[in-house]
Amino acid sequence: MSTSSERPESAVAGAPAPSRLRRVVTNQQFVLFLVLLALIVFFGIRNSLFFRTGEFSNLLTDFSGLVLIAIAETFVITAGGIDLAVGSTTAVTGVIVAGWIQPLVTHNVNQAVVLLVGTAAAIVIGGLAGGFSALLITVFDLVPFVATLVTYSVGAGLALVISHGAPVGYNPSAIYWSASGVGMVTWLVAIVLLVAIVLGVVLHLTVYGRYNFAIGSNEFAARAAGINVRRHLVSVYVLAGILAGLTGMFFYIRSGSGAATTGVTNSANLVAIAAVVIGGASLVGGVGRWAGTMLGAAVLTVVSDGLIFINVPPTWIQVVVGALIALAALLQSFRRRSRRMT
Amino acid sequence: MTTTETRQPVLELRHVNLHYGSVEALHDVSFSAYAGEVIGLVGDNGAGKSSLIKTISGVNVPDSGEILVDGTRRHWRSPHDSMAAGIETLYQDSGLAPDLSIGSNVFLGREKRRRGLLGRLGFVDQTSMEHEALEHLARVGITIPETNRTVSELSGGQRQAVAIGRAIAWARHVIILDEPTNHLGARQSAEVLKVITSAREHGLCVLFISHTLPHVLEVTDRIIVLRLGRVVRDAPTKEFTVESLLGAITGLNE
Ligand SMILES: Nc1ncnc2c1ncn2[C@@H]1O[C@H](COP(=O)(O)OP(=O)(O)OP(=O)(O)O)[C@@H](O)[C@H]1O
Ligand SMILES: [Mg+2]
Repeated sequence: MSTSSERPESAVAGAPAPSRLRRVVTNQQFVLFLVLLALIVFFGIRNSLFFRTGEFSNLLTDFSGLVLIAIAETFVITAGGIDLAVGSTTAVTGVIVAGWIQPLVTHNVNQAVVLLVGTAAAIVIGGLAGGFSALLITVFDLVPFVATLVTYSVGAGLALVISHGAPVGYNPSAIYWSASGVGMVTWLVAIVLLVAIVLGVVLHLTVYGRYNFAIGSNEFAARAAGINVRRHLVSVYVLAGILAGLTGMFFYIRSGSGAATTGVTNSANLVAIAAVVIGGASLVGGVGRWAGTMLGAAVLTVVSDGLIFINVPPTWIQVVVGALIALAALLQSFRRRSRRMT
Repeated sequence: MTTTETRQPVLELRHVNLHYGSVEALHDVSFSAYAGEVIGLVGDNGAGKSSLIKTISGVNVPDSGEILVDGTRRHWRSPHDSMAAGIETLYQDSGLAPDLSIGSNVFLGREKRRRGLLGRLGFVDQTSMEHEALEHLARVGITIPETNRTVSELSGGQRQAVAIGRAIAWARHVIILDEPTNHLGARQSAEVLKVITSAREHGLCVLFISHTLPHVLEVTDRIIVLRLGRVVRDAPTKEFTVESLLGAITGLNE
């Protein structure tokens, strides 16, 4: 069993790999899992109502509103980029889709058709928003930070202009459907989780995911190995846009209307990035895991819902989320430094 | 006149010019390279050696001039095209992705897919890639116990060894090695020279770039000297000594 006093050379290939147990224990995901359990126990002790299935169902729903854009950020960040636009893409998609499908709602078109048409529209709108970022990055050579900030501003502005600052549309049967399901899991949540799992498989088991990590790890190496880097990056930002669009549709279904504030006032883009960083991804790219992001998003959801539950004012929640991001970033630079020393 | 010159060159450059913005990196570069030949490419820092090989591999697109493989004019749009034509390149500035495993790096851009439907859906066959990577590397004398470690965990020399192993594993016609003995100790450098010689025996054409002139004189058949982006000498290795080669590189005794 290796100990902390082992010789530095053991980090080099040729030395035996660390034991399986040690690999698990030093694993950030395992720590996160413990943190998540501790948080649930903490909130449970402070208020026993936290364990009621109703609250658990709320947690799952709030988690679903975050997880798709968090996975979007996982793809973008591990590819060496960043996407600040997802929050406002969620908003602008919500208000546009809500406006477009309202005539169907008022003409009593079958609810399933309405929602499917809306989802298709959300994919197109979100994809266009992502495509706009991708255009700025790959054709006009803007750095992702600036390019997606532009998209963010355009999206947030458009959402306000289109909605005039008020909720768009009204679809009570969508709200009704959003609460239906099996046990604690609504259909809506189940669909989101299914999409999330498919994306995890794509990230870690397919050639597409492999290219994603290769580009984030060393863009030149990826290009030199014959990978079409530009095409891949375009697809990643479009994917992120689509996932933000789907999140916009998610909130439309939950609230029966679209609002320009959704994903904007709560800085959903930053929360999503926080989930990725807390999950152990490197902000310089090449390193990150789907499971880490899932856990990061779960921790953030439990913290923000739990704080509300024990009557902490919502304004403090942003502070706590900020502190969590700082903690995760600190942990990252700490590990980077300790790795350099070995 | 050597016998090689009556054969078809496996790689030929005609009047290649390359600029980076206003910087002229290559000026009217022409040469031919034959199968089973080791060519040394030497020149001072900034002479254009890396620019030249990146042009051959499709990383750079020349402003003008032609590249011919087996007598056919080719237009590379990306490194993918040159790889498909059997040209493999070891880049001076690391061509490895440090966060990926050794096996994934050996197969980068040519990922093995799983059989059947999963493969068509893009699923990679990681186990067999790790396994075969080990064999590929072993074949060129590189032994690494586990290929599932990330490259970032390797020493500089080990990384270089993996990169060389990958290039050797995939090269079909031409293998380009840009300062392959960088970061390597004496024993590993000797290994690389052996790898070069055995590549020649397998009928490959090797382009070998190095600042270590004794190495160049030891393993090459012909030496091309670049100075300020121009070919200033192209002659059989036996016509050079370390001194005359140094003179050609610096242009001092002309
Ligand atoms: N990406 C680039 N952008 C602009 N100029 C470049 C670039 N790469 C190389 N150059 C310039 O082109 C010229 C040739 O550089 P190159 O890297 O080909 O030299 P080299 O012969 O490989 O040198 P070294 O022995 O130092 O590796 C130099 O003047 C260099 O500054
Ligand atoms: Mg060079």
